[in-house]
Amino acid sequence: MQATTTGKNRTGAATAQEGVRAMLEANARWAPAEPIDTTMADADRSFYVFESDSVGSIPPPVTIQSMLKTGLNKLVGERPEVLMDKIGERLAFERTGTRLYDALIVKYETLVESGDMPDLPTPPDMGDADVASTLERIRAEEHEHFLMLSDVMTSLGGDPTAQTPCADVTGVASMGLMQVVTDPRTTFAQALNAMLIAELTDNAGWELLTTLAEEAGESDIAEQFQRAKAEEEEHLVIVNNWFTALVTASFATVAA
Amino acid sequence: MTINLLQDKGMPLSRQGMSWKDMVGKPISKLDDDAFTRVRAILLNGLELDSLRTKQVALRCNADARVQLAQLMRVEQHQATTINWLIGADHSPLETTIGYEQTAIEVTASVAQLEPDPYLAQGYRYALLEDFDHLYRYSALLDRLEGKDANNITQGYTDIVPARPTSEHHRAPEHDLLEPYGAGAALATKLHALTLTGGEYQTHDYYMNIGPLFADPVARQLYAEIASVESQHIVHYGSMLNPHETPLEKLLISEACEVWNYAGAAAQETNPRIRAIWERFLDYELGHLQVALQLFKDLERRDPAEVLGDGLLPRFIEFQSQRGFVRHVVENETQLRKDGTQFVDQSEEGETSLAYRSVVNAAGSPSTNVSATWTWAPGTELTRGAEAFKRVA
Repeated sequence: MQATTTGKNRTGAATAQEGVRAMLEANARWAPAEPIDTTMADADRSFYVFESDSVGSIPPPVTIQSMLKTGLNKLVGERPEVLMDKIGERLAFERTGTRLYDALIVKYETLVESGDMPDLPTPPDMGDADVASTLERIRAEEHEHFLMLSDVMTSLGGDPTAQTPCADVTGVASMGLMQVVTDPRTTFAQALNAMLIAELTDNAGWELLTTLAEEAGESDIAEQFQRAKAEEEEHLVIVNNWFTALVTASFATVAA
Repeated sequence: MTINLLQDKGMPLSRQGMSWKDMVGKPISKLDDDAFTRVRAILLNGLELDSLRTKQVALRCNADARVQLAQLMRVEQHQATTINWLIGADHSPLETTIGYEQTAIEVTASVAQLEPDPYLAQGYRYALLEDFDHLYRYSALLDRLEGKDANNITQGYTDIVPARPTSEHHRAPEHDLLEPYGAGAALATKLHALTLTGGEYQTHDYYMNIGPLFADPVARQLYAEIASVESQHIVHYGSMLNPHETPLEKLLISEACEVWNYAGAAAQETNPRIRAIWERFLDYELGHLQVALQLFKDLERRDPAEVLGDGLLPRFIEFQSQRGFVRHVVENETQLRKDGTQFVDQSEEGETSLAYRSVVNAAGSPSTNVSATWTWAPGTELTRGAEAFKRVA
């Protein structure tokens, strides 16, 4: 792996001044600037928005019996499917999050092995836990959250192996994060930046899920969600601290 | 090094082989490599895929050549993988698309100047103007959809302005055809036509694969529209090829075409790591040519010199900005249209094309809509400031 340093980056107008001057001449001849008007494309997009179907449907409860047993109707009032969809989303996100940490750990271990990983700050209140064990712990907690959500989904009569619409959409939103973390060329700091996006989203997601459970008066589930949220808050602080430390370091490293 | 197709043996097919790690090497840098390194990678991937296509057809037509063709195809497929995997994952599909259109423009412009047959040279200039317009339409999409500047891919080598509007590229199928070159055509003519046919095939197939990956309906429409035009271009260039050539004669030309293109790429490559790949594959292709030559002699009982002449390679495609030539063509030939196999003025265009166009454009033109009022600006049109935007309530 190479350090990211100043080099022969060929993008931007400044690196191809003669070419850009010629391109602007061509503009003057064949595409002179006029007021920007995107009305036609906007109208086309609106047409499709208006006409479109949904991404898909929320899976129905596996059995009506289990739904009645758990009192799902009561749980979230008139729209029980909303909670199932959002649990499905979190479940999918935690599952992918586990895999994101798997990829991050490989990158970290490789950098340590090659002597390219600088010291990172120890998380507060964690004694002498090192970075490797902290990464493993976070990964394990993401995994636990996934398993816990699977149990909750099952207890509410849902199928934790199904893909709900919000799970599908959050998967689309996360595609770029996985691309960044698994690219061998990205630095540890660049990968942490992607993890920061994941953790920020995760924190907001757990907050919403906890609120939904609390509003439904389902205190046991809300309590489990609250515990997960507290752990995710800690993940966010740790990832942000590591990321900031690498980016603000006074000397260049391969990791940054 | 001067290569002779009838004399240089290259690496024997039996010694050619790659591991998965050989095939999946380090990609080029989108940021640091020269745009023409990407252009060469895109072109040569298209060539490899077309050589596979040619061999698949030959396989269906030659009971006695099946084993050799299967062996050749295995290596060609691995070569294609090695080359196509050079495109780094930080290229969005739309950024790669910009690279494809730049390849089409710069390569076609060079070929148009090298082509000795004036009618076919006209054919290259004709489709050049269409790929040139595609670059403008896709650049508008890249700016307005992803907020990115296409010139970070094209690096100042290629103008980004409209030419013959994409909305007018849609012709009735009978007007896509050209007259083919004859049996006595120069080797250069044969290699030019095959190179461009392979390039257009690849572009079409790429757009057909990635078009559905876009969520944005305008992007999905634009890819549908331009993929259709690229399919026309396959017919446009493919119909230049002599239809009386036998499958094994086409195999021979295909292998010679690969040799010629790898030699040209190796001679002009600026990235040493990538140049080593072109040189290695040049050696492979000379080895493949040996197999094709033997099949041609054994099964067709013909002299390869009938097809390859004296075996000397024609002048290489020049991998450099063809700005001056392209501008001249834009200035003088944008108004040309097709009537059957002939190039005519706009006023004389084949009538069935007008009818066809009125059908496909009946509910509007994606390429027109996506680029309405768009002008390339360094750093995207957003650099023009808020006052340049006209919002309609």
